[in-house]
Amino acid sequence: MERTEKLLYRFIAIILGALALTGLALDLPLTTLKDFLTLQTTGGRLLTDFTVFSVGATLFNAALVGTLGLVLVYFSEVSLSGPTIASIFTLVGFGFFGKTPLNCLPIMAGVWIGAKVARKTLGSYSLIALFGTALGPLVTYIMFELNLPLVLSIPLGIGSGLAAGFLLPSIAGSMLQLHQGYNLYNIGFSCGFLGLFISNLLKAANSMEDLTIIWNTTSEPILIWLVPILSLVLFLFALICDGVKNVKKTFKGFLSLQQLPGRLPTDFFDAGSTGSTLMNMGFLGLGSYIYVLVVGAPLNGPVLGGIFTVMGFGCFGKNLKNSYPVVVGVVLATLVFGKDLSAPGPILAALFCTTLAPIAGQFGIIAGMIAGFIHLFMVEATALWHGGLDLYNNGFAGGLTATLLVAILQWFKTNRPKEDFEQ
Amino acid sequence: MKRKEFLGRLIGEVTNFMLQGNPLRMVVSLHQEDDGAHVSFFDDRPRNEEELERIRTALNPKALRPELAEYYGMMAGHDMAWDARLKLIGWQVKHASVDNSDSGLRIDLWLGSDSFNPDNFTIKKADKDKT
Repeated sequence: MERTEKLLYRFIAIILGALALTGLALDLPLTTLKDFLTLQTTGGRLLTDFTVFSVGATLFNAALVGTLGLVLVYFSEVSLSGPTIASIFTLVGFGFFGKTPLNCLPIMAGVWIGAKVARKTLGSYSLIALFGTALGPLVTYIMFELNLPLVLSIPLGIGSGLAAGFLLPSIAGSMLQLHQGYNLYNIGFSCGFLGLFISNLLKAANSMEDLTIIWNTTSEPILIWLVPILSLVLFLFALICDGVKNVKKTFKGFLSLQQLPGRLPTDFFDAGSTGSTLMNMGFLGLGSYIYVLVVGAPLNGPVLGGIFTVMGFGCFGKNLKNSYPVVVGVVLATLVFGKDLSAPGPILAALFCTTLAPIAGQFGIIAGMIAGFIHLFMVEATALWHGGLDLYNNGFAGGLTATLLVAILQWFKTNRPKEDFEQ
Repeated sequence: MKRKEFLGRLIGEVTNFMLQGNPLRMVVSLHQEDDGAHVSFFDDRPRNEEELERIRTALNPKALRPELAEYYGMMAGHDMAWDARLKLIGWQVKHASVDNSDSGLRIDLWLGSDSFNPDNFTIKKADKDKT
């Protein structure tokens, strides 16, 4: 393991440890653990803001979900780099609203079985195992919300998670071909696709409940400080990794990262220095935080989940330059359709729409804005299609948007007469 | 991934890259053994040293990336409308050499199982060095 990778392990372990300890310290440790166990028995479908139940338990849950990801990365012997760090930040983020260790484990185990059957190592499918936990609510919904006896529902929930995990590698590869890497949350797209079938199966069996929105409208003090502190820690760690003397070089590297289109798979750690990548993550975190404050949205579980995901993908495809046009597109659509910028749908779309950042990076600002505009009205409908079982609903909507735009752009490009043979 | 599909994707992506240079001639040569394969690509467009180095870097990544090779590697050879992405190939091959031949660019790719022995192939190291 290289020195930089060791430093990154320590850095993430420190963040996860700090989150867990803060969670335990907020309430009495026993109370936090009791609330944490209660969280494990919630369905977790979209949109369940865990901070409504207990902020301490939510922080502890997010830390444990992230730790699960870090352990998987370590034991699957893949490098802790852009994609894996993005997945760990995403896991932590969704630990605020929907993911729990209980509902993640069966999916991960299902992917591992899939890897064994395909004679691959878990490392080869590690990203699918990590991001595939987007279907975690399938496990806990079946376990605790179908009103079945636990003796039946628990094995059924675990079995569903295993089956979903087993199927994901085959689906994820095919979904990539549709948008050609222009949707960063490809597993979200794949989980939404699989979720369509599962949700309709449950509907046919009269077992699908309507979606409800559990949304904390107040910003808890500790949650207000989380993102600025984490961003500052990222800046500090950037200096530690690259050396304080090299701060100019680090900043120069950060500026050069802004020129990358970000199409999958672009590992920013390979493209720039470790410090410049961490700086990019920090700036994306601060940018998202400022946007949330400006529109007056609460810093609750889902919003923090969105910011953590944006920060995570700051080392795997997102930069300020390719992200802002898509956000502008979402803001325009929100205003055109007379919606509130701080309402759950628009604020989450404004954060998660950056899944389409590579479109702006590759095809320019206007294409990015169009993608963001389409994304808003799509994402507001898609959650219903998969019954809220796919936590990466924006990844699903983003995949559809990217597929549409890439198909149109490809048609234009392949029909340019200048590049044809002379008639 | 089945051998035929794997080779098809690698050949597709590299030919996409070479066709971007709009060559007048291009040759793809494949030699398969039980445990591996050697694919050579030739065109009639010599590249400067900077371009060659960029191609070499893309095809010979610094570290093994199984998480990227298996999953994102599936995109290789699928997309002919946009610029080719040689790094998708680099993660999936054992070794790549890139040089200018007498006529133009020459790319050699070696791929195969862990027991793969490059000596089994007709293009020997000495011949490679000449090019």
